[in-house]
Amino acid sequence: MIRPIYIHGSGCVSIQPTFESGYHFETLRAYAQNTVPAFDPDYKTYIPPMQLRRMNKSMRMAIFAARSALQEAGKDTADAVIAGTGLGCLHDSERFVETLLAEEGQSLNPTPFIQSTHNMAAAAIALSLGCKGYNMTYVANANSFESALLDAQIYLAEHPEQAVLVGGVDELGVRTVQFWDIAGYLKHDTPAIPTPLGAMPSPGEIAGEGASFFVASHQPGHEALGKVTAVETYFDATDASVFISHFLQRHNLDASAIDAVLLGYNGDDRYDQAYATVEHTLLAGIPQIGFKHVLGEYDTVMASALFLALRLFKRQDIPQSLLLNGTQPRSLQRILIYTQRRGKNHGLILVEKK
Amino acid sequence: MSELTQELKAKIITQLNLEDLTVDDLDDNTPLFGDGLGLDSIDALELIVMLDKGYGIKLADPKEGRKVFETIQTMADYIEANRK
Amino acid sequence: MNPPSPIAITGMGAISAIGEDVAANFRSLVQSRHGIGPITLLDTYHRDKLMVGEINITNTELYDRLAIPRHEAYTRSTLLAMAAAREAMAMAGIDTNDDYRTGLISATTVGGMDATERYYDDYLAAETNRHFIPTHPCGYGTEQMARYLGVNGFITTISTACSSAANAIMLGARMIRAGLLDRAIVGGTDCLSRFTINGFNSLMIYSPTHCRPFDENRDGLNLGEAAAYLVLEAPDLAARQSKKPLAYLTGYGNANDAFHQTASSDNGEGAFLAMKTALELAALKPSDIDYINAHGTATPNNDLTEGHALLRVFESPDALPPFSSTKAFTGHTLAAAGAIEAIFSVLALQHQVVFANLNCSQPIASLGIRPQTRLETKQINHVLSNSLGFGGNSSALLFSKADD
Repeated sequence: MIRPIYIHGSGCVSIQPTFESGYHFETLRAYAQNTVPAFDPDYKTYIPPMQLRRMNKSMRMAIFAARSALQEAGKDTADAVIAGTGLGCLHDSERFVETLLAEEGQSLNPTPFIQSTHNMAAAAIALSLGCKGYNMTYVANANSFESALLDAQIYLAEHPEQAVLVGGVDELGVRTVQFWDIAGYLKHDTPAIPTPLGAMPSPGEIAGEGASFFVASHQPGHEALGKVTAVETYFDATDASVFISHFLQRHNLDASAIDAVLLGYNGDDRYDQAYATVEHTLLAGIPQIGFKHVLGEYDTVMASALFLALRLFKRQDIPQSLLLNGTQPRSLQRILIYTQRRGKNHGLILVEKK
Repeated sequence: MSELTQELKAKIITQLNLEDLTVDDLDDNTPLFGDGLGLDSIDALELIVMLDKGYGIKLADPKEGRKVFETIQTMADYIEANRK
Repeated sequence: MNPPSPIAITGMGAISAIGEDVAANFRSLVQSRHGIGPITLLDTYHRDKLMVGEINITNTELYDRLAIPRHEAYTRSTLLAMAAAREAMAMAGIDTNDDYRTGLISATTVGGMDATERYYDDYLAAETNRHFIPTHPCGYGTEQMARYLGVNGFITTISTACSSAANAIMLGARMIRAGLLDRAIVGGTDCLSRFTINGFNSLMIYSPTHCRPFDENRDGLNLGEAAAYLVLEAPDLAARQSKKPLAYLTGYGNANDAFHQTASSDNGEGAFLAMKTALELAALKPSDIDYINAHGTATPNNDLTEGHALLRVFESPDALPPFSSTKAFTGHTLAAAGAIEAIFSVLALQHQVVFANLNCSQPIASLGIRPQTRLETKQINHVLSNSLGFGGNSSALLFSKADD
């Protein structure tokens, strides 16, 4: 069994002001649109202008989140960088396709091609930190961050003295959004963030973007924000309550030992049933917390859910707008996060305060 | 000649996203690469595209670019001598 | 120091411009028969201009060979991957319905881009091809592969540019060593696309003719397409089933050059660190290495800096074992390169032969090193294989001979 990894710092850029220090999801930005771009911090805080000028959104958000995590951890750099991204640097990919369709055979600007490469965010972090260590990028759709987190666990078991940066990043495109719309992914009926859950069910998700990174190591330290005990993924599963109960058994936990569960409700009535099933059976009576209704849906939103869980540990208080069901627990020591996207790519993360 | 250097400066700022700079910040004789403006090999490729699209000059070998793109002035001289 | 137990390689599958299976790839390698030629299948401006390592099978033929209904949406990278992975699983003789935990770790950079670029405007205008919309993300093809191959356990996809497949192989080995998997199907796939051909061409590192790895006058790469997968098993599992491994994976390393988005550092720091890590993990000395399958893309920058890294690891040109880049055979197959070259490394161990580095007539003067230009039979116990990519991503794998 892989040992838990301790999180010493976290950073998050999202459609909420998550980059502000001490942000606790109490004041929320509201949107009435689909898609919703990230609420940008001043990227110049961490990125020199000569580097920033060429960076796409993924690279900017990833570096900002990674640097914020390092700052919180009181570190200058890390020994390895491990990232997840469902779609990589989508906007530059679109730009290069559009250029080549219009101008194939002429001189093409090479920058969008270079920056369309999926590992550019992890590479940009390494370049920004001068980190020559292990550098990895997972592109496993909505389980991309979970793969990165699993790799971080394995890497730290192999290198117990080291510290890694692990995270996830995804950006919105333009044409790709039209494709998603055609494919029926997106919500049309009065899209809103925070998304009202349950009241007026309708199909479709609200697409967002963001990046969250964490500094992790095997050392508990004095001020660890929490520890990730387990992460698992199930690409294709029919009944969430079955794999969640197996997951809990494997970790010798009874459902009642979970203080709160983060569920990935996004207001898409075609797929939210997966959460409702476990909410009403296996995890009945446990406080239910939402995150996608305020962060939007994207492949690596799970990383931002982990960011939220760590903030909840710190404050020991669940903002009312996130509490979907149940009452404030007396104490928040152990949180289970469960997400899936469009009925596939189920992911579980178990995170504990101590 | 100075019209061309001004034009080049504006184009370089736009094409290479040097958004913090203005035409007045760029000197005709500041080295574009290395310790000067600090451009790199990807910028050199972008400048090759600029020569082709803006002035009909094709550089077949990126190595040729090193001399051509030394400064705004050398670029301007090269364009004057080779443009069609 | 005791090295960790080696990982058994029990199956391999490959499809590339020089062969539709592993045996055909080997025949081409020993006959020095390359697969580089004009573009014939891909619809692009560069059709009569640039040379590629193309697999001469249409998508429709691939659908039929794999018995996939024509109305379903599979992109070319995925079709190639399924063909290669199926061969690897058959060779390993694994049954995914037994009680062992089988993972699928696949690498790709193109993903479904070939469909996206083809239907980019069409999707908006007509319904006909819209079932291809979901195929765009790199992870999608791996999920289709898992269903096709019957893999129900852990699956993931890696995309780290040209080192992708080497990293997939490495993750499979690490998960087995960590006790998370009993066996893993690992490798990579990338088909040719207008996106990548135009991309490398825009970087001015696409050769107008046949690529010449490690030649003084090299002028860039040829792209190729390929898929290659290996079956890795925990050594005790292979032994229990009395399977004789084809070879062992004994070392691996990944590092980042942290120098520039595309160019490698002058002294090849990333490649140097990756090779050093792989050797340390296997508890081997540079002098134990008998053959190096180099990354050798034939771009001016790669071959020079990789050469410097080799000289740093092996310390002098005389101490450098025979090395060759096989990219003049297959073209640079991007996310598949690390896996197809892993298979070539295993073939070198199985057949005790060093493959030729084609098209090198004048070695790089400043390095003073000369690649192996002719096929040579020799005693080979350990092979090092390099894969280096954009974003400074550098990986090295170390393969060792199975006991006789």
